[in-house]
Amino acid sequence: MTLLWRILLSVLMGALATAVVTFPVVAAAETPDTALAKLIEDARAEALAPGACAQPNLDRLVRIFCENRIRPGVREYYPLFGTREGETRSGYDVDVARALAKHLGVEPAFVRVNAATRIPLLAGDRIDVIVATMGHNTQRDSQVRFIRPHYYQSETIIVGPRALAVKDWPDIAGRTVCVTIGNGSNAQIVSHNARLMLFDEAGVLPGQLKDETCTLAAQDDSFFDYYFIEPAFAARFDKKFGFAQVPWGMAVARAASSERLARALDLMSQIFHRDGVFLEIARANRVGTGFLEHQQAVWKRPQCNTDTGSTNPACVLSALNADLQPTPFVARVVAFEKWFKAWTGVELSLPMLKTMPAWSLFKDGIVNSLILVAGALAATLLFALVLGAVQSSRMILLRWPARAMTITLQSSPVVLTLVIAAAVAHALFPYSSAVAIGAAIVALGLMNGSNAGQAIAEAMHTLRAERGSAQKTGGIPTRELFGRAVSRSATQIVSFLINAAKGTPIASFIGAPELLSALTDITSFASGRATTYSLLLVFYVVVVAIVVWLCGKLRSRLEHRQATA
Amino acid sequence: MMTKQFSAEFFPELLAGMLVNFEIAVIALVIGLALGALLALMRLGGGILGALATSLIGLMRAAPTFVVMFFLLNIIPRDATLFGVGVAPSGIMTVALSLVPYSASYVADNGAEALKQLRAGSPLGALQFLPNVTRAFFVLVMSSSAGAAIGVTEGIAVILREAVLLPSLGDKLVLFAIGILFFGITLQAGFALMRLLQRYLGRRAVRDEPAI
Repeated sequence: MTLLWRILLSVLMGALATAVVTFPVVAAAETPDTALAKLIEDARAEALAPGACAQPNLDRLVRIFCENRIRPGVREYYPLFGTREGETRSGYDVDVARALAKHLGVEPAFVRVNAATRIPLLAGDRIDVIVATMGHNTQRDSQVRFIRPHYYQSETIIVGPRALAVKDWPDIAGRTVCVTIGNGSNAQIVSHNARLMLFDEAGVLPGQLKDETCTLAAQDDSFFDYYFIEPAFAARFDKKFGFAQVPWGMAVARAASSERLARALDLMSQIFHRDGVFLEIARANRVGTGFLEHQQAVWKRPQCNTDTGSTNPACVLSALNADLQPTPFVARVVAFEKWFKAWTGVELSLPMLKTMPAWSLFKDGIVNSLILVAGALAATLLFALVLGAVQSSRMILLRWPARAMTITLQSSPVVLTLVIAAAVAHALFPYSSAVAIGAAIVALGLMNGSNAGQAIAEAMHTLRAERGSAQKTGGIPTRELFGRAVSRSATQIVSFLINAAKGTPIASFIGAPELLSALTDITSFASGRATTYSLLLVFYVVVVAIVVWLCGKLRSRLEHRQATA
Repeated sequence: MMTKQFSAEFFPELLAGMLVNFEIAVIALVIGLALGALLALMRLGGGILGALATSLIGLMRAAPTFVVMFFLLNIIPRDATLFGVGVAPSGIMTVALSLVPYSASYVADNGAEALKQLRAGSPLGALQFLPNVTRAFFVLVMSSSAGAAIGVTEGIAVILREAVLLPSLGDKLVLFAIGILFFGITLQAGFALMRLLQRYLGRRAVRDEPAI
């Protein structure tokens, strides 16, 4: 009995001890409303203290109450999210900023920002908070303090004509997609073998779609929301598919003086989600509400609806990982850039050497360019000899189809010939880089080879006229005569070989991943366009110069052979 | 029958697009004539300027049009100004400028030859420059199709955006054949014009030759 009593007593004591230890924790879990009210009350009290507002390095939340205003940075030309007509501002971001100010009991003093200026303006203390369509990615995490939970989420969508059958990534391969420079999702589009057409501003994309300059365009769904409200636009275009979801975050400066403001905004964001404030604002501005409805359910959960909910990984979303793996020699590249700038004053940027995806694209681009040049030269020579021989034939059934083919190829602009070659190749084989390169080699070889072949045939004709036919004279066999015709047309052959080498960059138009294509892809997600394209020009001029030198040698040999014949 | 598959606006748009090809070629040729003539004179003058002109012509010959086009497109900021005036070239101007290295080097080569003929007392030999320039003009018209890659609505761009909406390879090939026909007629007409010009100059040369 004694033992039983002892056990029971131990269990009771244990339960009591557990209750004593646990109870204070449960009691400390405040609601976000309570925590926010206390934070605001404390800051207001500090602001009211005599001389507090004149202190240097004033806490930013306290300063907001001192000045009775908050300075949100908002966009002015982003339809549905931040627009301005005269003195009237509207949009989801603008109304969110107004709601923040109202909750704090101060006036909003809006400042215009755009994608390039929002972070510098925050760092320069020209604004208190960014509410400007800013995606939260790991790169920006080091520059600003993001507010959690996120106040919106967008994804990149591919938009195109309704009649166009594009449903997923496999349908994108080989097509051109219009994008804006610096868009984080460009690298993903590139990885699915699409070609990019770059634009500086998203605002031009709908116009480019309407006038059919672009068949497909990729941009945030939040951006296209506005255009899909237009009946004419919605009747012609639709969303093909979406990818690369990124949460949008309000953000404050990454400084100790901003921490209380950040905390207040974290709590407000929680409350706005839970109470459907964000949702109401979104509905009023006719922006998508799917994400906000889901978030409302999340922030109503008891484990999230606490003052620590904004740091709970089960409740908040992760930032989009936009960090690209650096190359092992990135430090030396950066040091070289600095040294070059110090030495010449010219800002050199070598993005192709700094990250592994860019380095990989760059290396492959160079190799593919050299393969293309070598392939185009070989194909030109081969087609020149074959078409030259066929056009020199005495059989009309051989000669005339070859001539018709030459005239057709001469009549087709280079871009069209490449597109035809690519269309036929893709009908026969599934899309791949190798198929695109092969199609380009055949197209360039045919275009230039047919012209060179025509020159050989003309030389053959003149040789026959000069020396009489082989049958009549019995002197020169056809094979030897053909060799002399090739030698005689050496200048023309060489000029078309050089032309073929110069034409290889056009292969990028049909998706061949040569250097121009690779560098366009790199500059779509990295900086340094001026340096990149200057290097590209130097590369191709050097390659063509080498081809010219080699062709000069070939011409000398052919002309020497003709002289000794 | 076959053209029923194409949109009603296709043919007017194709013709309008081909006019853009001609516009680009005219701009490239005019600038090329001015620059090429200057380089030809410099080269014939000899000395350091002559060597400089020869090097420049060599560089321009080696520069691929397509790469020059992307170089110009990316190196000139969209908001570039000179004395407060916007100097960023339009798409059409960018394509035309990318063709200038070809046209200028061609004009310099043929211009230098024409000047030599003129100095040798053969004005008709020098006049062979005209058919050569006509040939260059039509090469420029065909090469201006590169503009399709940067969103310039020229003839090939019109054909390609129509092709995107066609479901089968057969339909696309019919469309491409129409494109070749339109460009081919233009090119062959140009070459016919060039041959007529050459024959006319040849006849004049024979007629003006002093009897021995």
